[in-house]
Amino acid sequence: MSAPAAPTGSGATGPAPTGPTTAGPATAGPTTAQRRRGLTLQELVLVAALGVVFGFLYWALVQAWAWLQLAMGPLGDLAQHVLIGGWMVVAPLALYIVRKPGVGIVAELLAATIEVVFIGSPVGPMLLLVGFVQGAGAELAFTATRYRRYGWGVFVASGVTAALASLALGTVRFGWLTQDWFAYRVGLELVSGIVLSGILAKVLGDALLRTGVLDNHAIGRAARAARRGDGGDPGAAPAPAPQQAGA
Amino acid sequence: MSGVGFGRPLAHDSVLHRRNPTVKLAVLLVVSTVLLAVVDPWTPLALWVLALVAVARAGRIPWRLLLRAQLLFGPFAVSILAVNCVTRDGPVVGALGPFEVTGPGLAIGLSLMLRTLLVGTLSVAFVLTTDGARLMTSLHQHVRLGARPTYAVLAGYRMLEQLPERWTTIRLAQAAREPARARRQGSAPAWLRAARTGRGLPDDAARQDDAAPREWRARRGGGTRLPVSPRALARAAFTLLVVTLRQGERMAVAMETRGLGAGPRTVHAPVTLDRRDAAFAAVTVGVCVAVIVAAARLGVLASWGSTFG
Repeated sequence: MSAPAAPTGSGATGPAPTGPTTAGPATAGPTTAQRRRGLTLQELVLVAALGVVFGFLYWALVQAWAWLQLAMGPLGDLAQHVLIGGWMVVAPLALYIVRKPGVGIVAELLAATIEVVFIGSPVGPMLLLVGFVQGAGAELAFTATRYRRYGWGVFVASGVTAALASLALGTVRFGWLTQDWFAYRVGLELVSGIVLSGILAKVLGDALLRTGVLDNHAIGRAARAARRGDGGDPGAAPAPAPQQAGA
Repeated sequence: MSGVGFGRPLAHDSVLHRRNPTVKLAVLLVVSTVLLAVVDPWTPLALWVLALVAVARAGRIPWRLLLRAQLLFGPFAVSILAVNCVTRDGPVVGALGPFEVTGPGLAIGLSLMLRTLLVGTLSVAFVLTTDGARLMTSLHQHVRLGARPTYAVLAGYRMLEQLPERWTTIRLAQAAREPARARRQGSAPAWLRAARTGRGLPDDAARQDDAAPREWRARRGGGTRLPVSPRALARAAFTLLVVTLRQGERMAVAMETRGLGAGPRTVHAPVTLDRRDAAFAAVTVGVCVAVIVAAARLGVLASWGSTFG
């Protein structure tokens, strides 16, 4: 991308002039689209890209993990609770980047869709329901802060809510309640949700932010606003996006 | 199998290839939802055998490929069987290592295992007979999926197609740049040493005749020499994420500049939806219902907490 990034990174959430307009002929849409509640095309494609990469990585992980699971014999089924957080991480990560209601659910649904209809999964279309429930669970913690706070505590809480939602669904699907190991399942899943979903999402998001690839998204705008001093009035001085995003 | 990529259907034509993708997806959804309630082993077993024969005939999917798919899902399925055998209450019928196997556990475990294989078989048949772009077009046409989500997923589909190649590129690039690994293996190949120091590349390369190409060929072909430490894999995975996000941004800008989502759209190659699709749905769901009814008549059908018949 040699041209300057489209002025979506203007941070014009207030009644400010519409962006820096350094890239003359580029799209005029984003400034109005940005104010809409819905997702812009750019955000949708970002979420799709996240879904693709995580769908692919999950698939690759499953290939390796399946044999481990078999090797662990009857205990193998518990391995899924150790890893479950990894399957849910895309929801808090997408929320961290885009910061709009519903993004967590959309991200999980897209990742599940890509796994089911493009890669193929033994779980089948049920994975869509799993994705929806996990996404909704992960999003609950962010909804509680009205999508305004992105500290470690919120991510930990998101891991807990995602794990609980996923547990509830698994109990219905596989009848875990009538099995002997329910307490272990709960414990493992909570730990996994906190570490592999909540905390990992924050770590990944911060690492991605440092690469500059997220500069045109809400997370990048918030970081620039914070660097300027306070995040109180991001619309006051719309800064042009740093140019390291191109390459 | 090497010719089959992510989201690419088998190259030939068949009855299943020609069916409407949305209808196929809906049938898959209905069948796997109905089966959620079934926990006896016989119903999913009958459906699994029927499904294997049906997709092999109607989709002209080679048996070798179907067998591979079963092996792929096998460990997952067997582990579900194993855990259910030993974790459910009931009369003990045997032992698995230190654990006691119960009758109900064995029955439910077998049922869930066969259900996994059945749904896995149907999912693979769907993927092997459905073109991703055609599916999204159909969803846009027939389920009124919005233009923006449709094209976002299509962009994702394109990224997915390129993902394996991209992964290999990243892995090769990181391996070539990692000095520690080369040191571990004794001396680095001359062309790599030269490339790092920036000196003597032409001469060395000339003296080594075609050592460099051979080295690359070895890596490309076998792939066994790439580092497989979790650290190396995690680094490659993160790079894959960054590169793909960047590609996504470029695609989004390209689509926006072309005015996507700015007004009503027409569809380039419309997907048909006709009576044959209705017949397909009726036959598939009908067979599923017939098997369940037959199982109930024979008194083998069971659901959570109760047995029918």
